[in-house]
Amino acid sequence: MPTSKREKRKIKGGYFWKILWVDFDRGEAKPLEFDEAFASKYIGGRGFGAKLLWDHLQKQRIDPLGPENLLVISPGPLAGLYLPASGKTSFISISPETGIYGDSSMGGSFGTELRQAGIDALAITGKARALSYLWVDNGEVKVISNEKLKGKGSLESEGIIKEDLKDEHIKIATIGPAGEHGVRFACVTSDWGRNSGRTGMGAIMGSKNLKAIAVRGSKDLPVFNLPRLQKASEASFRSLRENKNFAFWQEQGLMSVIDYVNEAGVMPTYNFREGVFEHAKKINGYEMLSKYKIGDTSCFACPMACGNVCLVKEGKYRGTVVEGPEYETACMFGPNIGVQNFAAILKANQLCDELGIDTITAGNLIGVLMEAQETGLLSEKDLEGLNLKWGEEEAILETVQRIAHRKGIGNILAEGSFGVIKQWPQLKPIISQVKGLEQSAYDARIAISMALGYATSDIGAHHARAWTIAKELEMGMDWPLEKKADLVIYHQTLRPLFDMLGVCRLPWIELGFDEHQYAEFYSAVTGIETTLNELLQRSKDLYDLTRAINMKFGISRKDDYPPERVFNLPMTEGPHAGKILKREDYEAILDIYYQKRGWTQDGQVDEKKMASFHDSLVTT
Amino acid sequence: MSWKLAVVPERCSGCKICELVCSIHRFGVNNPKKSAIRVMVVYPHPIIRMPIVCRQCKVAKCMENCPTGAITTKDGVYDIDNEKCISCQQCVISCPFGAVFLHEEIETPFKCNLCNGNPRCVAACPKNALLFLPEHVLGQAQRMTSVLKYGHMKEVEYVEKGERKVLRYADIEKGKAED
Repeated sequence: MPTSKREKRKIKGGYFWKILWVDFDRGEAKPLEFDEAFASKYIGGRGFGAKLLWDHLQKQRIDPLGPENLLVISPGPLAGLYLPASGKTSFISISPETGIYGDSSMGGSFGTELRQAGIDALAITGKARALSYLWVDNGEVKVISNEKLKGKGSLESEGIIKEDLKDEHIKIATIGPAGEHGVRFACVTSDWGRNSGRTGMGAIMGSKNLKAIAVRGSKDLPVFNLPRLQKASEASFRSLRENKNFAFWQEQGLMSVIDYVNEAGVMPTYNFREGVFEHAKKINGYEMLSKYKIGDTSCFACPMACGNVCLVKEGKYRGTVVEGPEYETACMFGPNIGVQNFAAILKANQLCDELGIDTITAGNLIGVLMEAQETGLLSEKDLEGLNLKWGEEEAILETVQRIAHRKGIGNILAEGSFGVIKQWPQLKPIISQVKGLEQSAYDARIAISMALGYATSDIGAHHARAWTIAKELEMGMDWPLEKKADLVIYHQTLRPLFDMLGVCRLPWIELGFDEHQYAEFYSAVTGIETTLNELLQRSKDLYDLTRAINMKFGISRKDDYPPERVFNLPMTEGPHAGKILKREDYEAILDIYYQKRGWTQDGQVDEKKMASFHDSLVTT
Repeated sequence: MSWKLAVVPERCSGCKICELVCSIHRFGVNNPKKSAIRVMVVYPHPIIRMPIVCRQCKVAKCMENCPTGAITTKDGVYDIDNEKCISCQQCVISCPFGAVFLHEEIETPFKCNLCNGNPRCVAACPKNALLFLPEHVLGQAQRMTSVLKYGHMKEVEYVEKGERKVLRYADIEKGKAED
């Protein structure tokens, strides 16, 4: 790169100005340079991913599992830096699970390593001839095929590749057998248990014959004003460590949420039918601490260390070691399918990690089968003799195996909700999903903002975009719809901003970390004085862009509804017994939501806005 | 009095904040690969997260093996004199702990020099896995641990008048004893 160009830039840090474009079909890997407008407008992470996908979509139709699909892996300008929890990286693609825009962020330190390799984003298209892995060594790329990796588990593969490359310190993102077999909710795993879990990013890798991506990087990360960053970060780390919940958080991590959710009566229980699990005490954080937890783990630069390493010390699952469970896994493989044995949850978690399966979707779909078995919607023959009664551990683990290997009934489940509905239309009313993505572990029946959050999330029913349930429960149900819509939009703006910057949202959510600090970090790193509001505006624009991408696949108002259950199935127990959402309230809040977003009442982004995304900002 | 940087691997969560502050203090860059402390993460058998850092050995293999006398010691702290160092990397391979590091952009190897008596990593560690202690205190934690381990023993076999017997100790578990 000519120095003159570098000197002329106003953005003085945060980027290497390089997207590594790998095209397996053409057998080439080339660096693409992006300009300042691209960096400024889309920031990084899911911002870069969405823009690259948008441009890619202008050229061709995309079948998610076809070679033409584009997988973008992008950490963000703050990833890998000395600031709290900067270990995030996003995987972005057209999702095979939903057929629309999909992304999922991963913790650990894969993103840091990728940045240290001098790469702001990795974009992968085409299909390798044989099962291979990509070796990105400080920016140099090699495709290495290794038949030994075929059918191997995610964690096992990580070990094999480290041995192959003779380096213990490299970072590797892998897929398991589920990804190889195109299971539509296969995940990508790194650091032995950090997952890019949702929307099937593992299946995309599998469809490209890409078993893993190994990275080594040793470059200094570009920071314009390091002393300023240091000052802001030291204060930030101090404020987190002085928080009264800090020690508790390190101890339990997200497992602490179990008790909260159960007491609040929004625990997904028996396939989202109930909101209180009578055996919650057997699977909560205290149970984990007293019998299973053997260590803490954290993602890069995170003082909170929410990861729990657990070991089953006795009984039939003895010897099971897993980084987890995280709240979602514990619920979806616990209360949602009636499991009250914590060791069995650990076993299922470990199995899903190794096979490379999203635990949320798997737990959700198994819950559906169990309800169908109970109510007779599916026959014994349909279920292939599997004893899928609530809490039946063996049948659960067997089903997970069949999904990963697409055996029998597993072949139907592997297609995700849409596939299950196609096979068994009678199950449609009992599947909790939006746009084909299965609902994650918070009930939405009693909190209309949560329902709106799930329904208008750009990837489908996932809580990551808007987790407003706590606030709504705290504010009371009589809060005006206007305010609830505002709350959802604020969440949908701030939370994705974290994914654009490459940082974790949990310091903000769990320890009340001041979000304005991120503007200070961004300013220190890039040398551009920026306020939080300016950053939020870019995130808000990005929400329009992901909507515009989804519109290309026909998404409109008809797709922005929460799972059916929230309107017609009251809980029978707990503080919210008898409650359901009113359809007319939902229509009203959706109207307000579109209006506030500046979308039409059919949920469409206008032409002018769409045109603003046609700026071409990446060059070879 | 000489001070030591001690590591408690059981507490380490592998966040690498120590690496970050080290690289910033030492080289003025945000680059964990340029730090004189390195967290090794091993999984799953066994599961260990352990920061590797110079122990300032009194019989220092790195110094013994340095052919140019580039490794010097002052007040019990060893450092590498970049003027004398020829970067033969003998110190890197002679350190039994792998606590001397290399980076492709830096000509000579580097190691922990305890930041002139104020190791930045210690203050930055959110898990208190790094301790900066007077030398005579070292080992006390381990002594305490073995006492506690002994206290946790639930059964002891002994022989009394030719008869084999088992004595059961109360199962004093951490936490419960403090209640």
